[in-house]
Amino acid sequence: MPPSTDLLQGTLDLLILKTLALEPMHGWGIALRIQQVSKLALQIGQGSLYPALHRLEYKGWLQVEWATTENNRRAKFYSLTRAGKKQLQAELANWERLTTGIALVLEQI
Amino acid sequence: MLKEWVTKLRFFLSRRNHSELDEELRFHVEQSAHVHIDAGMAPEEARRRALIEFGGVEGAREQCYRQRPGWWMDTVLQDARYALRGFLRNRAYAFTIIVTLALGIGATTAVFSVVDRILFRTLPYADAGRLVSAGLTAPISPNEFLLTDSYYEWRDHQTPFAAITSELGTESCDLTEEKPARLSCSRVEASFLPTFGVTPLFGRNFDPAEDQPNAPKVALISYGLWKSSFGLDPTILNHTISIDGHTTRVIGILPKTFEMPMLEASDVLMPQALDQTAVSVSGSNAVTMLYVFARLKPGVTLQQAQAALQPMFDYSLSKAPPRFRQEVHLKVRSLRDRQMQDVELAAWLLFGTVMIVLLIACANVASLMLARGAARERELAVRAALGAGRGRLVRQTLTEALLLFLTAALAGLVLAEIAMRIFIAFAPQGVPFLNQAHIDLRVFLFTIVISILCAVLFGLAPALQKPRTETLGGRSLGSASRATLRQCLVAAEIAGSMVLLVGGMLLFRSFWNLENQHLGMQTESIVTASMSLGRQLYPTHHSQMEFFQQLRARLQGLPGLKELAVSDALPPSGYQHSMLYGVIGIDGKPKPEGGTGGTVQWRWVTPEYFSALRIPLIQGEGFTQAEQNSNGHFIVVSELLAAHMFPGENPIGQRLQPGMQGPWYTVVGVAANVKNGGLTGEELPEFYRLRRNREEDWDPSASVILNTSLPTAGVEQWVRSEITNLDPTLPVQVETLHQRVNRIADRPRFETMLVSSFAIVGLVLSVVGLYGVIAFLVAQRSQEIGVRMALGATRAHILRLVVARGMLLVIIGAVTGLIAVSFLSRLLSSLLFGVGPHDPVSLAGMTLVLSVVALLAMLIPAFAAMNIDPNVALRSE
Repeated sequence: MPPSTDLLQGTLDLLILKTLALEPMHGWGIALRIQQVSKLALQIGQGSLYPALHRLEYKGWLQVEWATTENNRRAKFYSLTRAGKKQLQAELANWERLTTGIALVLEQI
Repeated sequence: MLKEWVTKLRFFLSRRNHSELDEELRFHVEQSAHVHIDAGMAPEEARRRALIEFGGVEGAREQCYRQRPGWWMDTVLQDARYALRGFLRNRAYAFTIIVTLALGIGATTAVFSVVDRILFRTLPYADAGRLVSAGLTAPISPNEFLLTDSYYEWRDHQTPFAAITSELGTESCDLTEEKPARLSCSRVEASFLPTFGVTPLFGRNFDPAEDQPNAPKVALISYGLWKSSFGLDPTILNHTISIDGHTTRVIGILPKTFEMPMLEASDVLMPQALDQTAVSVSGSNAVTMLYVFARLKPGVTLQQAQAALQPMFDYSLSKAPPRFRQEVHLKVRSLRDRQMQDVELAAWLLFGTVMIVLLIACANVASLMLARGAARERELAVRAALGAGRGRLVRQTLTEALLLFLTAALAGLVLAEIAMRIFIAFAPQGVPFLNQAHIDLRVFLFTIVISILCAVLFGLAPALQKPRTETLGGRSLGSASRATLRQCLVAAEIAGSMVLLVGGMLLFRSFWNLENQHLGMQTESIVTASMSLGRQLYPTHHSQMEFFQQLRARLQGLPGLKELAVSDALPPSGYQHSMLYGVIGIDGKPKPEGGTGGTVQWRWVTPEYFSALRIPLIQGEGFTQAEQNSNGHFIVVSELLAAHMFPGENPIGQRLQPGMQGPWYTVVGVAANVKNGGLTGEELPEFYRLRRNREEDWDPSASVILNTSLPTAGVEQWVRSEITNLDPTLPVQVETLHQRVNRIADRPRFETMLVSSFAIVGLVLSVVGLYGVIAFLVAQRSQEIGVRMALGATRAHILRLVVARGMLLVIIGAVTGLIAVSFLSRLLSSLLFGVGPHDPVSLAGMTLVLSVVALLAMLIPAFAAMNIDPNVALRSE
């Protein structure tokens, strides 16, 4: 299992925002979705997932709602606010720039 | 950006429910466990695995909690609550610290509120930093001035100033309305208010056309006068009032905060109305003295301004008689310097003194906190072991320090208010702004800031002590490093007290010299009454002479009166006439070449002056009644002047011409020298003109001198009532000569009193600190002492052991203090009289006092150490 600390600083925020762009989700769902989509390449440590969710909420990018899950269990659902959507676009652009830059360096040298 | 802050604020204000977070995390673990159960794991095992996968639940919760904006506020409150509980458990400790600090902070606040206006606060003018006073200094006047002809030249040709203006001075004048009052009227140029950037509260400034001789009279009145005489009536504007019998139109009211640049009290501002064309005619009588103020152009420094004025100054000087040239200098200084003069040094002295007291108090408190820190080392080690980070522990200790210091600051503010009342009650007249000193927002902020600074500075030392894990073992270990720091603090305290003690002693000795110097005249049993007649009621010299002669006739009837004299000025200071030595003509001798010869004081006196003040006449008879009624001119010279003028000759019968023109006077006596340059100034040569019974010898001001055998209090009353009978509106100052002389010494007395009391407070605090440290060391070393005694050390050995350590601190502190004194006391020189800044008596005396007091403080713990029972000491623990 690759250690989650390998994630670049700030990438976790991007992953969370991107995952939530589809639909509201609870913390467990977010972790699961990232794990599945990345084909188990990315394992999100819970120790960093929840603080990150709270941080994003306090920044006003996420809003929360308590709702029941499909198996009738109360859970905290996160969804993007308008500011969160804007932030996602900004972070995506940022990521684009970063990866292009890294790719260029890797090709050149 | 704003939105982000609003969000933060919203979360900051709303309290999040802890159980929500718990539920969220629980949900996660359950889901995780479900996955394992679905994979066929037993529920118990599944739950265990889920928890393991999650990692530290507690850590995650803590992490989530810390994401909340302002979460640290909670920890601060927690720390504060914890600290308060600690203080309540240890009340004596908290109380001692708060009282010590409140004393230090209170004294500092009180002194700051007094010196603030003198040293720091900006003057009440627009952009006051660029205002300067400019002119030339000459022996005749201690402050810079300009003669009108030079001023007009400067004004028209100067380059360094954006604006320049002049003040003729302030004199008493009379409001001659139905409610008459004695006022102060200042005569200024039309550009005066604009240069200072002052706009009238109501109305307008006078324009240059109104600043002309024979222009219709206009005036601006002060806010104080507007209130006291016109009841804040706005209709006074553009109405006329009568000043000295002249109808004057009020065209403006000055702002409440307005003050004259030389700080003199002034009720009315009038155009100086000088005749500029007459001045330019050379040798004109219209030339007078002006005080000149200017506003520097932006970016121009004082030095540049001085350099720019130099050519004009040189030119003006070239027109002056050669013997004046050496003693006349150009002077440009900031307005603040002009206002504060010598007060500034005294203010720094007080401020410095009180800061030392504050530092001693803080050092004591830091020492106490270190001692408590040593006792709490185990507690801190336990907290560290339970996961409190280093930063958290430091924050906890700092919170405690801040709580103590801020409580003390509040108590200090109350103390300061009381101390300030005492200051003002004891303070001499002439300390500028003292009566305005009060605790306002600015002073309050100063107090809070200085408390926080001290708390951080002195709270940090104990906070940074790292708890050692060994203490968890339960054995108390000797905390050697703590004691070292405390010892350094005590040595520093002793150094501070040494500086204070020597400073206080120097001032005290100087004051003693001042009080006990020989004035050359009698001051006991002498009652003086000084008055200045109004020009309205007494317009002519004749009416003035008549008034004083009537008064003299009435006072002659006083029982117990030994002598009655009239003069126009009283030694040793206050207003006295003066004249340049070089101006005085001596019959049969050429006027001296080179230099003005310095200043000569003189006064008008009646023949009884010398006998009334018991000033011995060394040669000649002095003035006689016959001379008083004659039309001849007679003069008495002081010993000093006689020695200057007639070395080796008999002065009696010589003839002098005091002044460029005028009659020649015959010397009829030589009087012993009298202190006449203030209490601290050097004695100046002096002469006395006979005030004859002729109107040309009289002017509106006079001082009546009564030498009486009766108690002075009754005589004062009687004199006052006699004067009131003659003229009920005349303001008069009646006091004994002794009081008058004492009043001059008020400033040094005040300084001495304050610095000495601060020195005593400092000494007490540092000796308490010394006692505390020695007692601590003895307690810490009680086992060691027990071992030594068991091995045969005598009580004398133990005494030496304890005292030697204490004395080492005292010696280090005293030597450091003495080194500091040798640098600092030189700054005091100008405040000292008859004692040098390195006066050996003060230095040696205070070292001795400090050592003896310190020794006494050490004896208490030393005796405790001597009485240690080795049996008990060795068995403890």
